[in-house]
Amino acid sequence: MTITEKPVTEGPLELESGREAIAERPLGVLTRPQGGRGWRDWLSTVDHKKIGIMYGVSAMVFFVVGGVEALLIRLQLAVPNGGVLSADVYNQVFTMHGVTMVFLFIMPLAAAFANYLIPLQIGARDVAFPRLNALSYWIWLSGAIFLNSSWIVGGGGADCGWFCYSPNSGLTFSPSHGVDFYAIGLLIAGIASLVSAINLIVTCLNMRAPGMDLFRMPVLTWMLLITQFLLLFALPVITVALFLLMFDRLFDASFFNPDMGADPLLWQHLFWIFGHPEVYIIVLPAFGVVSEVIPTFSRKPIFGYTFMVFSGIAIGFMGWGVWAHHMFVSGIGPISVAAFSLSTMFIAVPTGVKVLNWMATMWGGQIRFTTAMLFAVGTVAMFTIGGLSGVTHAIAPADTQQTDTYYIVAHFHYVIFGGGVLGLIGGLYFWWPKIFGYMLNERRGKINFWSMLIGFNLTFGPMHILGLQGMSRRIDTYSAGFGFEFWNMVATVGSFIIALSVLVLFHNVWKSKREAADLPPPGPDPWDARSLEWMIPSPVPEHNFDEVPTVDGLDEWWHRKYGFDDNGKVVQIATVEEAAQDGSAKGVHLPAPSFWPLVLAVGLPLIGYGLIFNLWLCVPGGLLVGMGIFAWALEPVDDPDASHDHHDDDHDDDGDGDADDAELAAAAPVAPGDSSALAAAAPAVPGEGGA
Amino acid sequence: MTVPILWRDTEVSVPVRSLNSRAARLSRSGSLRSRAARAAGLRRRPLGLILGLGFVLAGCAKDAELDTFQDRSETARQINDLVYPVFIVAGVVLVLVCGALLWMSVKNRVPADKDYEGEFPTQVSHNNRLEIGWTIGPAVIMTVIAVATLITHLAVNSTEANAIEVEVKGQVETWEPRVVVVGQQWWWEYRYYLTEDITTADLGDPWNLPKADIVTAGQMVIPTGQEVELIITSRDVIHSHWIPALNGKKDAVPGMYTPWKLEADDPGVYFGQCTEFCGLSHSRMRMQAVAVTPGDFQDWIEAQMAMATMPTDEDTAEYRGMEVFTNFCASCHLVRGLNDGDYNGAETVSGSAPDLTHFAGRTTFAGGLFNLYNPDGSLNDDDLAAWIRNPNDVKENYADDLPEGSLPRGMPDMGLSERQISDVIALLATLGPRPTDAQILATEVE
Repeated sequence: MTITEKPVTEGPLELESGREAIAERPLGVLTRPQGGRGWRDWLSTVDHKKIGIMYGVSAMVFFVVGGVEALLIRLQLAVPNGGVLSADVYNQVFTMHGVTMVFLFIMPLAAAFANYLIPLQIGARDVAFPRLNALSYWIWLSGAIFLNSSWIVGGGGADCGWFCYSPNSGLTFSPSHGVDFYAIGLLIAGIASLVSAINLIVTCLNMRAPGMDLFRMPVLTWMLLITQFLLLFALPVITVALFLLMFDRLFDASFFNPDMGADPLLWQHLFWIFGHPEVYIIVLPAFGVVSEVIPTFSRKPIFGYTFMVFSGIAIGFMGWGVWAHHMFVSGIGPISVAAFSLSTMFIAVPTGVKVLNWMATMWGGQIRFTTAMLFAVGTVAMFTIGGLSGVTHAIAPADTQQTDTYYIVAHFHYVIFGGGVLGLIGGLYFWWPKIFGYMLNERRGKINFWSMLIGFNLTFGPMHILGLQGMSRRIDTYSAGFGFEFWNMVATVGSFIIALSVLVLFHNVWKSKREAADLPPPGPDPWDARSLEWMIPSPVPEHNFDEVPTVDGLDEWWHRKYGFDDNGKVVQIATVEEAAQDGSAKGVHLPAPSFWPLVLAVGLPLIGYGLIFNLWLCVPGGLLVGMGIFAWALEPVDDPDASHDHHDDDHDDDGDGDADDAELAAAAPVAPGDSSALAAAAPAVPGEGGA
Repeated sequence: MTVPILWRDTEVSVPVRSLNSRAARLSRSGSLRSRAARAAGLRRRPLGLILGLGFVLAGCAKDAELDTFQDRSETARQINDLVYPVFIVAGVVLVLVCGALLWMSVKNRVPADKDYEGEFPTQVSHNNRLEIGWTIGPAVIMTVIAVATLITHLAVNSTEANAIEVEVKGQVETWEPRVVVVGQQWWWEYRYYLTEDITTADLGDPWNLPKADIVTAGQMVIPTGQEVELIITSRDVIHSHWIPALNGKKDAVPGMYTPWKLEADDPGVYFGQCTEFCGLSHSRMRMQAVAVTPGDFQDWIEAQMAMATMPTDEDTAEYRGMEVFTNFCASCHLVRGLNDGDYNGAETVSGSAPDLTHFAGRTTFAGGLFNLYNPDGSLNDDDLAAWIRNPNDVKENYADDLPEGSLPRGMPDMGLSERQISDVIALLATLGPRPTDAQILATEVE
């Protein structure tokens, strides 16, 4: 069922008729790059694993950027009347800290896990749309660089807070270009998340290995899938809001200008309709990671898989009905406040279920406290604190005292850092051998964990007290005599312990890599884990699975290793070596690389600069985008220089989930008449021809 | 838990005893305050005291003028009464969760550095009854909290009619205590309409509000034991008005007039801070509610209704200060008795600057930031001079070097000479009447 075999008359895919001509190198540029080695390979790759790694590496770079901003904040607030930063710079720094950590660190780090692991966990060759996947990454990166370039070319970062309430974000009150960069940078980065969400949703729904029912998907994949749905619906809202803000600032559109009769609360509603699901976008991937790590290191299946999945889905739905709890004191009516107060309380129920199920998984287990497990258990405990403080400000009357104080800062750092970041770092330790083929040193890992846990609690624990003592958020200084001195100093000390801990992590990566040469390779399954990614070699070969596995149940990989005897006792039925694939498959056809996603992505920030500085800059930017789209569409589906023998298994490019690729590749070419049916069943060709 | 104690220096002796309890609480004698606070806690809420063993004491056993637990009004108490039990429930849950995690960590632990070997633990995959149980259990707890929340929510959002009689210019007026609160970068204005019953509908454009009987800035004076209705708005960006001891916060949103209320049990100075990020000097946008007895409130009204008296002797600093004021300050600042008129000729983005008619009757200036008087009762002319000399130095604003596209906000550097500065301070010092010693002392937090 190759595309070339389709009748020309068959419909929208008509460009295939011109395929031969394109393959003749029209203009000499529309050939597909060969991949190869070195940096060129990374620039043109469409491999979900490489893209995942690039997401991860970039996220860690921005973690450092956001971390330095955090340390500046803590230095400024270490003592009363701090003089490290001016008020103006402080406002920019705390704004960019929030924006960077949310949009440029945690989201891409979660995207790294999603990209790398979803195809592996569902037994797919790649994501549904490999070039789109590359596009997501490059657009996100161009948006991230654009956003941070405002420090250099924009006269400073945005100074409106990450929430950027109008009218303070308007031109009158924030005349520098910072907010323009904020709006356009997040618009660009938002395209990436949106594209990626569609891609991964299609991947989860259409590319699963035979037998991988939805309710056999690992909990991590489930949580990532829910996250993608949240992104899919939340990002359009913030996109609209940012678009209006951009038009307000650049073209005097007056959407949010109260002088022109606008309602400043409109922005708040739009922002938080996005902003609250965003919280779950941040924590659900970490919940997924924890749900993989805890069973593995408790030597038990996840307790209550169904409850875990449905509580995730419940959070996904309920997350849409609580946004106005960010606005309890904004002046919305008492009935609105009451309604959102109640809905917020009840979102604690599915989250509580998750915590209890994790504990039940550990209950009676055999717990190995590897670094990954320490981080996972730490996540459960720290997130519990964040969840409980969340209940205290779901109580609307209490929230009138707590909101916009450091109590809130403490709360959401316990949720986002304690729940999200700790979980994802645990995930790094867990999947590191799978991704890079060597283990991170456990001893250094434990130093990493304990220093991070201690630093984290020293930094954010005291903020509960500071907030209840009346210390407002987003203040660049405070006076002595309000009782804020001691705990602020503690928090600052704690923040530097976190910074040290992050350095330990980086050191561990570097040192473990050097030591790896002297250690035995970790093998496909170093942790005795449960899901499909552990049945293939570490690091994962480019083609993922030699043969797409057929799945018979939850924890497929575990069940290939272990069975139950007549007494219900677990017995090993196969060793890892016996059950695992050896990665030796040759000639598996993979999606060809492409430079066009990168070209397209480079055009977007140019348009952004054009909107801010000189509209003429939009022309080259628009040309690049247009060229990227056009060339992408016309790019040959296959590498014309490669052997034409492979045409028959073009469909392999997509990692087609409903049919076993290896099997199909071995089978006789499918009759042309079948191709449309197959294409309809699995709209997977887009890896090449579509999208 | 150890309690960090940051005792202040104790150089000020204790005339405090004679003052009201709030002033005593605020005084430099920590033990006095501590005892008073504890007594209040015991009397009103043993539950809260139990919790105090946790982080309340750790947080509050020291000087914390913005402390949310040192409630001094019925509303603030209702809020804390609601949230204290939830803190306890949350604490219990936390201890249970962490305790279970720790217990399992110890009991079920196997060596981490070795691969698994030997028999597997029982492979339990689920237990529907248990899971339904711990879905319903938290839901029940949350329902209880929800009901309590709704009851308190209704209570703190209800208002009661409590008109009082005040004498305004010899006429007895029935006044429903109500203050129009206007936020502006970076100070608060408080407007009192004593002689007419102003409602939200009458207010209109916040830059051009109906003329009020009393206008003050940075400090709101209220009678004790009276529920005072606030109508909150803003002239520029969103601010948030928060006096933690008296009630939660409420945003000041441009284009909206949001109702809220305040009430103080006892006389005293209650500190507040703008809590919605409002730009450059957000951290320096502060305010105080000054609660006085109904009798003192009547005196205050009379004083405020009076025009400022202007110096007539040309050889005095005050007179020269008046000339400086007229030449440099009067286009933005109003002193009734000197440049009585419309507020709106001013050229700041917000259209007005603080009314200075009774400037020296307050205990703070520059948006509630600095103390106007030293602890010994003398005028704090150092800070005042620094503020007039170059406001941007002591409280950053956008009045001088404006970014392109922006509008001026804040107080500009008027380029006054030192002589002019001391002259205008001499004038300002006459704009009384002076606050009481108790109020001056209660304002001292540093």
